[in-house]
Amino acid sequence: MGIVSLTINGRPVEVEAGTTVLEAARTAGINIPTICAHKDLNPYGSCRMCIVEIEGVRGYPTSCTTPVAPGMRVTTESERLATLRNRTLELMFSGHPNSCLVCLHREACEQYRPQAVKAARSTRCGFCANRDECDLRAMALRAGSKELDLPTLYGSYTLERNDPFMDRDYNLCVLCGRCWRICEKIHGQPAISIINRGKWARIGTAFSQSHLYSGCTFCGACIDICPTGTLTDRFARWHGKPDREIASTCLLCSEGCSIISQSKQGQLLANVMIGFDRTDSLCALGRFAYAQIVNTGLRLIRPMEREGEDLIPTDWEAALETAAARLLTAKKKTATVISETITREERFLYKELTRCLGGELFVLQSSENEDNAVAAALAAAVQKGDIQALIVNGALLPAAVVEQIPFVLAIDCLPSEISRLATVVLPAAILSETEGSFRTSSGVIKNIAAASVAPGYARPEWSILCDLGRAMKFDGFSFQTAAEVGDLISDDPAPEIFAGNPRHNVRELPLRFRGHDLVDIVPALDAFSPLHSVKAAQIEETADGGFPILEKKEIVPNMHFYKIHAPQVAGFAQPGQFVILMARETSERSPFTLVDWNKEEGWISLVIEEVGRSSRELASLQTGGRIAHVSGPLGMPLTIERKGTVLLGGGCYGIGAIYPLARALHQAGNRVICAIEASSSYLLYQQAELQEVCDELLVATKDGSAGVRGGVQEILSWVAGQEPIHQFIAIGCTFMMRMVTELSRTLKIPTLVALNPIMVDGTGMCGACRVSIDKTTRFACIDGPIFDGHGVDWDELASRRSAYARQEVEALSQQVDLNELVLRPAGESCGCGGH
Amino acid sequence: MKTSNDVQQEKNTSPKKTRVKIPRQPMPEQDPRRRRYNFEEVPRGYSEETAMLEASRCIQCKKPGCVAGCPVNINIPAFIKLIAEGRFVDALLKLKEQTALPAVCGRVCPQETQCEAQCILGKKGEPVAIGRLERFAADYARRHGHVPDPVKATATGRRVAVIGSGPAGITVAGELARWGHEVVVYEALHLAGGVLMYGIPQFRLPKEIVQYEIKALQRLGVKILTDYVIGKSETVPQLLRQGFDAVFIATGAGLPVFLGIPGENAIGVFSANEFLTRANLMRAIDFPHFATSPIRPRRAVTVGGGNVAMDAARTALRLGSESTIVYRRSKAEMPARAEEVHHAEEEGVVFHLLTNPVQILFDARNRVTGVECLRMELGEPDASGRRRPMPVKGSEFVVPADTVIVAIGNQPNPLVPQTSPEITTSRWGTIIADSETMMTSMPGVFAGGDIVSGAATVISAMGQGKKAACAMHRYLTGQEPPQL
Repeated sequence: MGIVSLTINGRPVEVEAGTTVLEAARTAGINIPTICAHKDLNPYGSCRMCIVEIEGVRGYPTSCTTPVAPGMRVTTESERLATLRNRTLELMFSGHPNSCLVCLHREACEQYRPQAVKAARSTRCGFCANRDECDLRAMALRAGSKELDLPTLYGSYTLERNDPFMDRDYNLCVLCGRCWRICEKIHGQPAISIINRGKWARIGTAFSQSHLYSGCTFCGACIDICPTGTLTDRFARWHGKPDREIASTCLLCSEGCSIISQSKQGQLLANVMIGFDRTDSLCALGRFAYAQIVNTGLRLIRPMEREGEDLIPTDWEAALETAAARLLTAKKKTATVISETITREERFLYKELTRCLGGELFVLQSSENEDNAVAAALAAAVQKGDIQALIVNGALLPAAVVEQIPFVLAIDCLPSEISRLATVVLPAAILSETEGSFRTSSGVIKNIAAASVAPGYARPEWSILCDLGRAMKFDGFSFQTAAEVGDLISDDPAPEIFAGNPRHNVRELPLRFRGHDLVDIVPALDAFSPLHSVKAAQIEETADGGFPILEKKEIVPNMHFYKIHAPQVAGFAQPGQFVILMARETSERSPFTLVDWNKEEGWISLVIEEVGRSSRELASLQTGGRIAHVSGPLGMPLTIERKGTVLLGGGCYGIGAIYPLARALHQAGNRVICAIEASSSYLLYQQAELQEVCDELLVATKDGSAGVRGGVQEILSWVAGQEPIHQFIAIGCTFMMRMVTELSRTLKIPTLVALNPIMVDGTGMCGACRVSIDKTTRFACIDGPIFDGHGVDWDELASRRSAYARQEVEALSQQVDLNELVLRPAGESCGCGGH
Repeated sequence: MKTSNDVQQEKNTSPKKTRVKIPRQPMPEQDPRRRRYNFEEVPRGYSEETAMLEASRCIQCKKPGCVAGCPVNINIPAFIKLIAEGRFVDALLKLKEQTALPAVCGRVCPQETQCEAQCILGKKGEPVAIGRLERFAADYARRHGHVPDPVKATATGRRVAVIGSGPAGITVAGELARWGHEVVVYEALHLAGGVLMYGIPQFRLPKEIVQYEIKALQRLGVKILTDYVIGKSETVPQLLRQGFDAVFIATGAGLPVFLGIPGENAIGVFSANEFLTRANLMRAIDFPHFATSPIRPRRAVTVGGGNVAMDAARTALRLGSESTIVYRRSKAEMPARAEEVHHAEEEGVVFHLLTNPVQILFDARNRVTGVECLRMELGEPDASGRRRPMPVKGSEFVVPADTVIVAIGNQPNPLVPQTSPEITTSRWGTIIADSETMMTSMPGVFAGGDIVSGAATVISAMGQGKKAACAMHRYLTGQEPPQL
């Protein structure tokens, strides 16, 4: 290979032959925008963002696929190229929700909502889990374009949630092909590929089957390489960008794969591959289950000591003292049974401790359950009374054996039959919470770095063992760090090679951790267990109770329309009132504004936006199903008077919510103008119905794809310039209501808003919904929800609405909808493009 | 102390003499060091032997003071005798003659000021543990699946609407259904039980027990309509027009009182109702299996000295928090049951007595950081007869906190009175009812429980319900309630 000289933007550049123009430019520090190109993927040339001009070459070749040639004269920036690239970007955006990027109020909105709103489908950046890491968005913001000439063509693909760990929203996909190319690179035969043709082209599996049956190994590479929010990790998804990344080693089996642990505020979010090579790949456990194991709410968090029948929480000192005393009594009649899923240092210390006691150490492989060879051998010894004490670090032995041993010290992370039988239980920090090193089955020593904080009073085993050793006055346990222990280990053997190949076959995953069944900790793993049992959620569901859903449809993405049989509400509802729904017996009580009702037929209708766990549970219900609870009507109705001209502003769910107000005000003889806003034309709904009950319907979209460009405030200021407005009423998100009330204040228009604070009972009992109106505390559920917009303390409302932000993310990320995990043997079509 | 076996034998030989020597049997309790981290019930209940032993202490007075001390007039000596004889299910049936909720009352009644305060044994030594025995009988029958067949009078053809399914409502519904009336209970929340479901924590009153009692009510033929908000759907006059012959309002004291001090709308300030409702009714303690967001206090300050304050402070503890109670008077003035205060102390709740919060401090994100308090000293007795707390000048100090639970009381829920102007209310918003018949200013409309008395106890609500049920039966039939 020789060196090739060329000039890029007039600068001489020397690179090796075979280099692409793109790489050459980057070596020279010249930036060329790309989407489909990735340093670990072969050139593909699909996005056409990286086009350049090359003297003597016709057209605009893609720099990522063009090899350098001697004497080449390349131009990467020109007016023509800029126009073409912008056009390319626009084309890409016409198939990718973009309204936030061109919204006139983007900065204010992002300041108001620092985190993305947890919606189902991402219909705009504000609803996208990947908002802060999106290549496309970054590029658009750099380009600074606030105008788009092309209409948005929303794909309307169903959100794919039918596999254990990933959410797929192909409405965001720009077909860069990174995902299937990395899949092919790592696995040889890709599980996903481009299916269909032309404008129907998309990424999918063969025969559109669930990924469970597509040969996918759930290595997560596609998620990590996706430049948009199309492919996401369901657990980590709404936690936002990690604040720390650290290289470490997976401890779940003896293979010891290298990982990068991503964490945020001390919480592990995910492990990702160290690179995008075949050898870097991870199994589903290492990639996805790790964080869920560490974060499970089941963890043991405080030391406990037995007193009679009970394990009594105690402090470390007391627990260690008891353990030391009892072990010293048993001395060489001590058996230590440990799982290999710990660091070398910890293993060494277990060995040392057992040696000092004169006992015997048994090490079990990660996939072994309590019925193992060691258990059988121990059972005999226990019978003979040869074992008086047991140190065990997992659910590694049958209860029948353990309960015969007089003293049991369980050093573990999760409760089990063993820890329930134990005399002393010490909570251990595990996996990403500990540090040290690991010898893989191939003999390599790898580093383990602490990436997250252990829960409660849990401590790493190496430090527990050091304290225990010191408490027994043994020499050689005074280490301050795991590294000091590591320095002493010389000839530790490599663990046995793990029998299965979980990186290539999900059916061979070690579904055990320290003997605990991982399906109990990470329910989604049930999809991989041999029988695929779909452990039914232990909830007593309303069989024939509840409220029948007469009609349910997703009218626009994320926006669901319901017609529900609820005569006790329908018979008494008035405009401005709301109901509280619970989709299931386990759901939250969530308030939703009434849209319409029919006393004679006994039904009510609602429009519900899918933005969190509760609304997602509602969204998963269908026509013919039942909603567990509908309580209402609640709240004070709007006083319907003849005011003159009334402007009603509605956004998001508010488009539906203003309908009954418009109808009543219109009937009362007012001139009613309805102003509705949406991000884009494809998110507008209910226009025909509103048209019927108002004198004028005005539309605004953030991207200008229908009606005025902007929002209700743009319409308000326009109408105010045309005619006097006697009353303005706004219903929508708090940001919208806040913006419009600020404007209506300067326009001196009396303004009412329907507030949406967090509620629990909705009958005045709990006070969760308190809001400050003119510096007085009011309960939105019984005094409202309609209040004078100019008196509202918006900052307080916004902060109170975010009170449970963290729990809400947790509720979504730990929720597994087992119904969506069911077998889907046949897909929709073969993928050849025929329909 | 004698074991039950010893005594059993002695009892066979010389019954009366040894009986008095038997000490009051202690209630086995979960160790406070353990229970402060779990939601399991604190007292574990008597064993059969202990119950019989304790029951044998009762001297079967001819004129039992305990019955007079019971707001629902349970025939206490009779049911205790049945326990002493080992006839546990019969004991329950005896209880059921007078109370719809023995398992509940046995747990949450303040027996020390009611039945047990009147016990003759208490004059010289310790009274019979009536509450514990009541609980035992109810638990025994429930655990062993002895579902007593409902005994009902013949149908009267009268229809009664009961608004609210808390202790008062359940009592009225149960009695009237037994006496042959058709009863419909309206409940605004999604589960029946009122304060027994949303307010009293699991560790004091397991929710399974409440639901068991509700099911018993349904077996009696009572129709319970949950998710039904009377006042927002039908009003009380509308119910009467729809063919109900009488209405009983038992909507309780469900409007939390706040302190009215600066910072009260910061994130982390809760009414005790919200805090407890999330944990109990919505089962946020089982999050994420149950979807309601749990409150995760690290340093919780509960303001108030009543039973609700104790419940909240102990719940906070179990959610993994340090837990402090701030109360403006001294321990002697605390309205909470002594046993509750004792349990709270045992579990590690810290008490700041003679301390009054003056403002709640919060950070830039509107989240609570602490409570600024003032030391108090006791002055002259006030209207309630308790010595009035007076602030000590310049004694301000800050209790660090991320969670503040306001448990200083509840006002009557306004939903029903607001929409039924025919019903006269007091200036505190309570419904004014005749103290004997519990009838309101609207004929045929009765009321009882906290909506009449203001925030009080479960048993006083049941007592009023009992009174109202009798009066309603008389109103509906012109006759005294039948003896069943």
